[in-house]
Amino acid sequence: MRLSLAWLRDHLEGQTPADELAERLTTAGMNVELRESAGDDEIWDIDVAANRPDAMNHRGLAREAAAAGCGTLKALALGLAESKVKAGELAKVTVEDAIGCPRYCARVVRGVKLGASPAWLAERLERCGIRPINNIVDASNYVLLDVGQPLHAFDLARLNGHEIRVRRARPGELITTLDGVERALAAEDLVIADASRPVAVAGVMGAANSEIGPATKDVLIESAYFDGRAVRGTARRLGLKTEASHRFERGADRAMARTALDLAAALIVRLAGGEIAAGVLDSNPKLPAARTIEFSLARLAAFVGREIPAEFAVKVLTALELAPRRAGDAIVCTVPPHRGDLELPEDIYEEVLRHFGYENVPSVLPAEAVKPGARLGSWPLTERGRDALAAVGAAEAFTYAFVAEEAETATAASPLAQRGAPVELANPFSARMAVMRRSVLAGLADAAGANLRGGAERVFLGEVGRVFFARDGNVVEEERLALALGGKVGAWDAVRAADFLDLKGVVEGIFAELGITDAAWRPATCALLARGEGAEIVVGDRVVALAGRLADAAATLFELPAPLWVAEVDLAAAASQPAVHFQPLPRFPAVAADLTVRHKLALTYAELVAAVRAAGPEWLEAVTPVVQYRGEGVAADEVKTTLRLVYRQRERSLTQEEVNEAHFALMDRLARELGVSFQ
Amino acid sequence: MASETLERARQEFLAALEAAGSDPDRLEAVRVRFAGRRSGLVRELEDALKTLGREEKPGYGKALNELKRLIEEKLVQAQALSAASQRPDAVDVTLPGRRPPLGTLHPVTLVRREIEEIFLRMGYSVADGPEVEDDWYNFEALNFPPDHPARDSQDTFFLKGGLLLRTHTSPVQIRTMETTPPPIRVVIPGRVYRCDSDIRHTPMFHQVEGLVVDEGITFGHLKATLEAFVHVLFDPRLKVRFRPSFFPFTEPSAEVDITCVLCLGKGCPMCSGGGWIEILGAGMVDPRVLRACKLDPERVSGFAFGCGLDRVALLKYRLPDLRLLFSGDERLLRQFEGVGR
Repeated sequence: MRLSLAWLRDHLEGQTPADELAERLTTAGMNVELRESAGDDEIWDIDVAANRPDAMNHRGLAREAAAAGCGTLKALALGLAESKVKAGELAKVTVEDAIGCPRYCARVVRGVKLGASPAWLAERLERCGIRPINNIVDASNYVLLDVGQPLHAFDLARLNGHEIRVRRARPGELITTLDGVERALAAEDLVIADASRPVAVAGVMGAANSEIGPATKDVLIESAYFDGRAVRGTARRLGLKTEASHRFERGADRAMARTALDLAAALIVRLAGGEIAAGVLDSNPKLPAARTIEFSLARLAAFVGREIPAEFAVKVLTALELAPRRAGDAIVCTVPPHRGDLELPEDIYEEVLRHFGYENVPSVLPAEAVKPGARLGSWPLTERGRDALAAVGAAEAFTYAFVAEEAETATAASPLAQRGAPVELANPFSARMAVMRRSVLAGLADAAGANLRGGAERVFLGEVGRVFFARDGNVVEEERLALALGGKVGAWDAVRAADFLDLKGVVEGIFAELGITDAAWRPATCALLARGEGAEIVVGDRVVALAGRLADAAATLFELPAPLWVAEVDLAAAASQPAVHFQPLPRFPAVAADLTVRHKLALTYAELVAAVRAAGPEWLEAVTPVVQYRGEGVAADEVKTTLRLVYRQRERSLTQEEVNEAHFALMDRLARELGVSFQ
Repeated sequence: MASETLERARQEFLAALEAAGSDPDRLEAVRVRFAGRRSGLVRELEDALKTLGREEKPGYGKALNELKRLIEEKLVQAQALSAASQRPDAVDVTLPGRRPPLGTLHPVTLVRREIEEIFLRMGYSVADGPEVEDDWYNFEALNFPPDHPARDSQDTFFLKGGLLLRTHTSPVQIRTMETTPPPIRVVIPGRVYRCDSDIRHTPMFHQVEGLVVDEGITFGHLKATLEAFVHVLFDPRLKVRFRPSFFPFTEPSAEVDITCVLCLGKGCPMCSGGGWIEILGAGMVDPRVLRACKLDPERVSGFAFGCGLDRVALLKYRLPDLRLLFSGDERLLRQFEGVGR
């Protein structure tokens, strides 16, 4: 809210210096965010909270200043001269919807002369960011900024039947608002109509058809109290936000509807001449009973953490016009119509405390003994995932959880991502953020592509985050860990392109960190990964991870300049951290023997090792790969795999003879059962 | 006088050592000249010690010992290096090693963990909740009535079908109060979503909230807790300022400013010259919220606070633009090597 300091001072008795006034208002919660000088005046920009429509005007802020100890609030100068002609004989007001419009007040001013406003008034409006238009419109805007009541002036001659009807819009009704736009009204929209047509959107904006113009002689001034929800609904539907709608949405002042009307009528006569018809057309002069709120000073002290003197509380509440009455330890407040936000004792505590000063409350840590805290929910799991990413050398990235539809579809072609339908946003920020991801790779592969295109020689990103599935009418969230590895791997003097085994090594490291054991790798069949260059990893019969080269279609979509190796792990597969129990270290030496096996490619490494283990003695301790060879001297459908077999007895030393015997027996059995040969 | 002699000797030695380079013969000559047992400079200076008076002796002796140690160390070092350089196959120890890549954690993860640690030490647990929420948890239970203008500030993303992406981590306050009897002490970090994007806003970002509910919790407790938090996280010299504000779910509410982490309040570009930076929102839990969670405001009270994790990361690491955090740019992410793990 922009205000003029001189105008604010009009409402205050006393001359608090400007700096002190700004400081005190800020301390009390009316944050003076900006000050600029304007001649002998100052323009202030004050951040008024959404629950304080009463302070979105000069008088309201003057009331706050008075409560903050900057003088006292002056009484409003009311009183006006009425002519003999009765308003009721010139116009008629009917409220057909008292829920949307609990009170409608109007006055008639006859014989006005339209013209420009005097300089002092135009200047004040401009300082507050409102463009002067003519003396009638300016007068209503002035009163709005002065006391916060939105008003509207109609050309009485242009109101058919010289009457006002407050009603909901009729099907198909159109209105051309003052901004020149023709708008279709809906049945929920509250309108001000004359005998035949809408002449204003209630609480939002007037219409061109009843606008004040050079020919205007007689004016009907509207000062109403509209229901905030009705105004908000219509303003949102029409996409119109005005000074009036802003205030009505937040709650107007039912008593001020009448007071402001008198102020406006008097000001119009002062600026534009004419005479005020006698009486007010008031649909509902009766105010609802005022709410009272009682609180005890002891409770206030217990809530704040220190005592606040009763005299101080009473002084502040009096300045805020809450009419405090003391009754022993209790204080009873009567809530004035402009403070609809006050309902509970805690609301009053805030009023007292913010003027008392938050800085005057002593800081004391809660003293009671506490139990140690713990990470709850999925935090232990996701934190392990992040540590695993960092342990294998990835850079943890964050990408958006909503992605473009094509990116989502391209990365959802896997058993991990097919656990439900995609979840779409109803109001996405852009088409690039339209669908919730079912795979973290949707964002990560995109980021990897950007890095590679930006000239990175290598990219190694990881992300832990949620994926979202529509399932059985609900949205299910699951935790995932994803990796993207591309470009070069290895040290500066031993650089080569990343390949599947680089990725697999990283995934195995992640599995070790997460306690995922007994994972079986088998060729992937899903479209996410390039055929023949990817794996599905299963535990039991459940797919827990995928790893491989991102398929060409997706690579094209993400504009990848180089192959990208990706993996995604379902974090739910992680086991709880195992207890470690010491295994006795071997006391007797091992005997190692290498074995080079020439076999068909169709026989996988895992099958080969399983066969070797089955063919060896129970004291065959370990089987590890040494090298694989394909090429010259080996048939196209064959490969030579060299394995290192480690034999060891735990309780005694082995002899060379028994190792030889077992090793040759193993070879015989392999040749027999697998049809492989040796070198 | 005597100390000047020693200083001159030191300078002379260093100059001679440098001039000798890695030539073993010239190094030997330097050794004889300065550290030779019979006629070296050190020997001469030791002799001079005997001629000094009582008062000068201890200071001179100490300084001389230091000089002796320096000369010995430097000579041993220089001769060792010289010997190595004489081997034709000596490794060039300045070549970069074959270093495996060190993983890095995201800056928001780093500040989140730092904040969690502070509160874990004060007995808080770290809670968690869904990112897809319904109207009750995101708004109504938090005292945002339907059609209330306070909802405007939330810029909510809705999902087809009526659910929404949580606009703050506050729904987890409700979930915690619904399931946990007081005393409650939790912090709630997490991802939140609002329909907004510029240098200071991204449509997805991170918050951390805190919630304490117990008998006798006061506004003074809130103040002390946040002061302790800010002092541990940033700098114990920072001043903390509480300004009245409005949030539907707290009453009274406060905005919490700290003196600028960069200029400590003098005024600089980071704080737009004002000396203060807004960092937290806080307040006493509104009784309507307690009641929505079936807690009795006559018996218990509480406080809640929240701040943007991304913004804390910006302040701590001097990042110019929030959007960088979500770019996945590895050149940025790898700058955090060695931090926090």
